[in-house]
Amino acid sequence: MLRKLLMVTVFVILASVIFAAPITLYFWQGVGAAFTKPLQDLCNQFTALNPNVKVDVLYTGDYHETLTKTISAVQGGNPPDIVQIYDVGTQVMMDSGVIIPIQDMIDKDPSFDINTIIPAARNYYSYKGKLYSMPFNSSNPVIYYNKNLFEKAGLNPNDPPTTFDQFIADAQKLTVKDSSGNTIQYGFTFGTGQPIEWFFEQFLAIQDALYLNNNNGRTGRADKAVFDSPAGLRVLNFFNTMVQNGSAIVAGAGWDNARSLFLSQRAAMLIDSTANITMLLQGAGNKFNVGVMFLPHPSGVPYGGVIIGGASLWLINTHNTQREQAAWDLLKFLESTDAQAQWSAATGYFPINRNSIIKLLYQGFYAQHPEFLVAVLQLLMSTPDAATSGALSGAMPDIRTAVNNAFSNVFSKLMTPEQALQQAQNQANKDLANYNSLY
Amino acid sequence: MILSRKWIPYLLLAPTFLIISVFIYYPAYQSFFMSLYKVSPFGTSSRFVGFENFLQLFQSGGFIQSVYTTLIFVIVTVGIGLVISLLLAVLLNDKIPGIGIFRTLLFSPYAVSPAVAGVLWAFLLSPVSGYVSYLFLIVLKIQPQWLTTYPLALIAVMIATIWQNIGFNVIFFLAGLQSIPQSYYEAATIDGANAVNKFFRITIPLLSPIIFFLIIMNISSSVFYSFAAINVMTEGGPSNTTTTMMYEVYRERFFYFNNGAASSESVILILIMAFFTYLYFKFGQKAVHYQ
Repeated sequence: MLRKLLMVTVFVILASVIFAAPITLYFWQGVGAAFTKPLQDLCNQFTALNPNVKVDVLYTGDYHETLTKTISAVQGGNPPDIVQIYDVGTQVMMDSGVIIPIQDMIDKDPSFDINTIIPAARNYYSYKGKLYSMPFNSSNPVIYYNKNLFEKAGLNPNDPPTTFDQFIADAQKLTVKDSSGNTIQYGFTFGTGQPIEWFFEQFLAIQDALYLNNNNGRTGRADKAVFDSPAGLRVLNFFNTMVQNGSAIVAGAGWDNARSLFLSQRAAMLIDSTANITMLLQGAGNKFNVGVMFLPHPSGVPYGGVIIGGASLWLINTHNTQREQAAWDLLKFLESTDAQAQWSAATGYFPINRNSIIKLLYQGFYAQHPEFLVAVLQLLMSTPDAATSGALSGAMPDIRTAVNNAFSNVFSKLMTPEQALQQAQNQANKDLANYNSLY
Repeated sequence: MILSRKWIPYLLLAPTFLIISVFIYYPAYQSFFMSLYKVSPFGTSSRFVGFENFLQLFQSGGFIQSVYTTLIFVIVTVGIGLVISLLLAVLLNDKIPGIGIFRTLLFSPYAVSPAVAGVLWAFLLSPVSGYVSYLFLIVLKIQPQWLTTYPLALIAVMIATIWQNIGFNVIFFLAGLQSIPQSYYEAATIDGANAVNKFFRITIPLLSPIIFFLIIMNISSSVFYSFAAINVMTEGGPSNTTTTMMYEVYRERFFYFNNGAASSESVILILIMAFFTYLYFKFGQKAVHYQ
């Protein structure tokens, strides 16, 4: 009896020593080197509350690279505890077999209220009612416009265009040529490569149209693409009309060229992520006033809304309950009202916690910075359905390339919009079949 | 003593062989192996498919397109690159004041990391702030979209690659030129040969081993090392027109996580390069011509 008691005592002491031992969580982020500081600040606040848990935030390259490195790290047996994976990597992570679905932790933890997460974010990262990852940095595209150039062109900066037709007409009015016929100021600019594929998905959702079958892969694995539709064609034509009539300039691959065209006032309107509001406002400085408008939509078509973009946080199965529990606590902290409000105000990503939005509103933040409100409103006013939940498939990275190629082929007049969209859809169907054959 | 002498070469080769085994042979073996499988992104499930990956490559337009792009890319960069390098080397072979400075300047692009070179060219050709774009605008009154339209994007990437390789080629040509005895040229001058004749009948034939060596080296470097410039400048676009085979392998593996497809593409690349290496060893020594 005494012996048994002794053993229990020893076990309890040992256990408490083990559990009290400080641990360091590894948190890989792919949102950008500039975001390491705000993220680490948040994590340090978590450490202040939980002195035993230190968090090491590491920038592991862009979203693509972070996913690639995660795969290598998992295969090498040395994975991070938390990793930030972009929207289209969701299905790959769900199928990976190396993660703990967030829902499993939520079900065990009555202290967490899932209803604080705004529905749009919850829908995107859920499959058949099960939440797989913790929404974190969420954004959607908006149009930034130069209010000074609007005035110069005789347009009302407080009444920006809302339909495709108005937008195209205004872009033309904002285009300025010099005496020898060279364009010195464009009406509109955008990046190809990663940006335009994302805009295409968003403009489909704006028209409440689907991208993949099986309700965007939400009610079953998607095996056919359905974006070769009147809605898809409208998006392609919208961009192409402005490219061909010379009022829009294709800024090149990536985000930066388009941004510098806008900031150097060589383009009056820019489509970009809300995540960069802070950067663009600072870049414009005192040179000109930046306006933010909702994405235009084609008139006469039912309005859907925008899809949540950005990334979410995944819990990797490290087979170490103590680490996993600590990581879950961190995720809860990052989703909390204060953390989301702080993160949103520092970056331009909108809060995924409804209480954070309310808090920022009451504090007068949105009154001072109405630009930030546009993104939140655009999302919250969206119809919650399959179209605005976004497409889910492991082949999304491939499909995005096919869509990007369609745009390139149309812009360089190698194909008509109809041909290009059909070719992209055929390619997407092959990619879907290829991915699905693995599972 | 005899035994140890026999073993010394192997002993000396061992470190190199060890490194090559770990970093080249083992991954190559893995590629062969994986090219017969379809593997999920995280490697958690895989399925033996035989030669299906290879079959799909030849059915999909993407791979075939990348083969054509690679052919154009290699022929143009190696051809034009070597001609420019040879002309520069002949000029640099003269004894003019400050020749050391010119040689150093011409070699310097080779010392720049390929990724940095790509960034430099992307800056120069950028439609927003690029000097080259600006020059075209004020001199020719046109605004070419260098990095976003076909075929300009491919041309831009080829220019960057040629620029990078010139230094390397010039150094080898210079070494070759300096080993040609001056007496041949003197004899030719006495016989009344002009500069063009001397160039084609003395310089070129005596340089042929170097030319052959450089062709092989340039082919392998433009197939394998052109990656950085493409990745930085165009990411293979627009519409895959700057996607070479090497870049296609990268995209399949690191963008789309199609491990099987990427492996089968790299197997094909290995076979092609093995063929060129074979050519080099087989004909490398015989390609010398004296006239």
